[in-house]
Amino acid sequence: MEERGKRSSAEGMESAVGGADDVSEEKVFRALLDSFPATVTDFKKLRAGVLRARIDRRDLHGACVFLRDSLGFEHISMISAVEYEGRFEVVYHVASWKHRLLLELITTTPKDDPSVDSVSSVWGGANWQEREAYDLMGIRFNNHPKLERILLPKDYLYHPLRKDFKGGD
Amino acid sequence: MNLFDFCYGIIHWLVDLINNIWYWLGDFLPWWFGDFFTAVGDFAASHGHIAVMAILLEVIIIIAIALINVLNFIWLDRKFMGRMFDFYGPYYVGYKIGGWLQNLADGIKLFVKEIITPAKADKVGFLLGPVIYVGSSFLALATIPLGRQFYVGTNTDLASTGVGASALIAFAFFAIAPFSILIAGWSSNNKYTLIGGMRSAAQMMSYEIPMLLTVASVFLLAGSFGFMDIVAAQHDIWFGIPLFIGLVTFIVCLAAEVEIQPFDLPEAEAELVEGWTTEYCGMRFGLFMMTGYLRGYIGGALATALFLGGWHGPAFLPDPIWFLIKAYTVFVLIEWARWSLPRVRVDQILDIGWKRLLPLAILNLMIAVAVKSMGWF
Amino acid sequence: MWINMGPQHPMTHGLWNLRVKVDGETIVDAQPEVGYLHRGIEKICEGRTYTQIIPITDRLCYGSSLTWSHLYCLTAEDLMGVEVPERAEYIRVAAIEMQRIASHLMWLAAYATDLGLMLGFLHAMRDREVFIDLLQALSGSRLTYNYPRIGGVAHDIPPNFERDSLRACAYIENRLREYEDLYEGSRVFMMRNVGVGLLKKEDAINLGVTGPPLRACGVNYDLRKEMPYSVYPEIDFQPAVHPAGDCYARYRVRMDEMYESCKIIRQAIQKMPKGKWRVVAPRNAPVGTGMGRVEDPRGEGMMYIVGDGTDKPYRMKVRSPIFVTVSAAPRMLIGYKVADVVAIMGGLDMCIGETDR
Repeated sequence: MEERGKRSSAEGMESAVGGADDVSEEKVFRALLDSFPATVTDFKKLRAGVLRARIDRRDLHGACVFLRDSLGFEHISMISAVEYEGRFEVVYHVASWKHRLLLELITTTPKDDPSVDSVSSVWGGANWQEREAYDLMGIRFNNHPKLERILLPKDYLYHPLRKDFKGGD
Repeated sequence: MNLFDFCYGIIHWLVDLINNIWYWLGDFLPWWFGDFFTAVGDFAASHGHIAVMAILLEVIIIIAIALINVLNFIWLDRKFMGRMFDFYGPYYVGYKIGGWLQNLADGIKLFVKEIITPAKADKVGFLLGPVIYVGSSFLALATIPLGRQFYVGTNTDLASTGVGASALIAFAFFAIAPFSILIAGWSSNNKYTLIGGMRSAAQMMSYEIPMLLTVASVFLLAGSFGFMDIVAAQHDIWFGIPLFIGLVTFIVCLAAEVEIQPFDLPEAEAELVEGWTTEYCGMRFGLFMMTGYLRGYIGGALATALFLGGWHGPAFLPDPIWFLIKAYTVFVLIEWARWSLPRVRVDQILDIGWKRLLPLAILNLMIAVAVKSMGWF
Repeated sequence: MWINMGPQHPMTHGLWNLRVKVDGETIVDAQPEVGYLHRGIEKICEGRTYTQIIPITDRLCYGSSLTWSHLYCLTAEDLMGVEVPERAEYIRVAAIEMQRIASHLMWLAAYATDLGLMLGFLHAMRDREVFIDLLQALSGSRLTYNYPRIGGVAHDIPPNFERDSLRACAYIENRLREYEDLYEGSRVFMMRNVGVGLLKKEDAINLGVTGPPLRACGVNYDLRKEMPYSVYPEIDFQPAVHPAGDCYARYRVRMDEMYESCKIIRQAIQKMPKGKWRVVAPRNAPVGTGMGRVEDPRGEGMMYIVGDGTDKPYRMKVRSPIFVTVSAAPRMLIGYKVADVVAIMGGLDMCIGETDR
């Protein structure tokens, strides 16, 4: 039909889903462990296609470059900063479209020096999300091209998502 | 009896009436004052004075007709838009006559609104913009005849042909508008208005040329610069038929000249807020809007006079009615395109003007030359 | 010359600011600024119980509020380990696809006005009404539905809902063909769209662009297919992909998605089993994290909830697709004309509610 001819379809399109070179969850973990033996810990498979790993913040940038270049994690979904007793955790949800994997990469930073390396040079999509984490949680991202407040006014004094922020003053 | 004679007659009758009373009053006065009275009365009854008064009356009649047409156009535009967009359009104000009074209500609203001049605007230019825009548009109206006998005549001797070179005068006044838009956009001291003014200048300048070339072909066929002769020359066949390309080109250029939708870049509301009218409010904006429709009316009238045979039509309707019917048709045609087409981009509009319409206009001129040299007109 | 397009500007569809540097009419630099509508939803949610959060998440996006409350419920179910009855899953799928059509129709309306076509605005809004009415019959409200619950949906479907949905699908498919004639039949529309706002595939992937703008770059990636949630694996549909990467491709992808959504609604209505539509969810969440990912009409929506054993979340993070996509705007804008800004940004389908949260 004429209309069908006009309509786009996935046929003939290079499929994002990989075939033979499927990287399983274990392979990702083993590759990460081999490359960063001292710093990657606490590997866990949360459910089908979703993994979790912790990584020391020294190796974060290197691990992200490795993830993107060698393991095919080309998309950063979300960067969330969480405040715990005595530490901040920065959670990177990194997705691989080829292998249908989502990796929850957690790095920890102490409260007196909340800083991690920026991954915005690895994934451009991390740029604004890191600014947002800095804005709301006060985590500094080293080597970030423009670490400024993004959602709140530039002269705002607090980082409102921290638990000690009460607001109003 | 043409419009001038009609007005002359009315003024003459009025002056006579007043003069009767005047002379009667003068009888009661001392002779030295009575002479002065008589002299004033004689002046009032002189031919020159009555002719000037008659011209003023003509102008008032023409402007009143134009303004009523503008009200009709706005109403028609809204109703037609509502028809296409699936809503009623004006409805409640003047319920019995299809919401026609909505425009008057809007006008009253605009009149009572405060007129704000931005603090950093150029005051003189800001005021001058709408004045020139409105003034030049009304002047363009002055020379367009509505019928064989219905035009602004200046004296009985010239009455047979109206104002000489009237079409040239109309186009000259019609082309003043870009300057006023540029003045308005520049003096508002606002980036949107500035861009709008620049776009308007570029657009109108580049569309003047194909428009005037098509008009030149009409002049060529009619052998005259006056509307009366042009319309008279279309007695047998409308110029729109041999010069169909010219008619289409002319109407497209017209849409660009009066800034109607596919070409309303100067006030592209999506990217430039309201374009060059952004800083105007109250009745100044109202004047801009009204004049926009007035220019639509003038455009329709020009297309009618030049291409669609003016007032020629079956005799059961008087000339001005035929003329207005054709002008309305052209306007509705333009509005139809207006409400069903997206807006083109500024580089594309110049492309259309220079690469499409200009060759078409020249082609049309060549056709006109060919037709004329064959001796068919 | 720097021009501020926003915060109050017809182009913005909300409250944000796009600073563009123009040279004549050509854009040489662009700088999006967001945050004018920041309401602190993540902080608000920390002070509310899990049930109270559902209406808050509805407020994330005025264009497709149901998707966000559905995403929140998915995330909370992941955190609490709640199994949702199958009937509820099918009802949810039908509802969020209706919401997707409504959202895309709203986009179409806004896009038409951006290009100067008021006709498209009113007609698309009128057809959106059909789906808003359906969702109103389903949930009781017309904009913020508050319909999904943790562990199911609030109510069963109303009587005649199946019939009305099928009718609505048939209606909108006819109307979409009319829209295709109206838009693609118009030379002016094609002139304004084809080749405008080109985004390269690599750039789109690197900058985290998701949803229709990504699929318009030729990347066949739809979370409903690639990482299926709910009952999408059992439903047969094709993600809409277009290789061109310009505004026209984005328009085409969204139009095709509406056709696909009709197919999904039909299948969901047919396959909907009898049974319960809601299970009781626990009041308190366990210590741990929950994560949900859905294909929002605007891209990849994602939530991350940290539970601490109480009835309130310890931390809730929302990934807004537009927040990331708009950061890629300079890459699309530079080199085009001022008038193209509206086409390009309109093609992204901005929704400020979710961008600023």
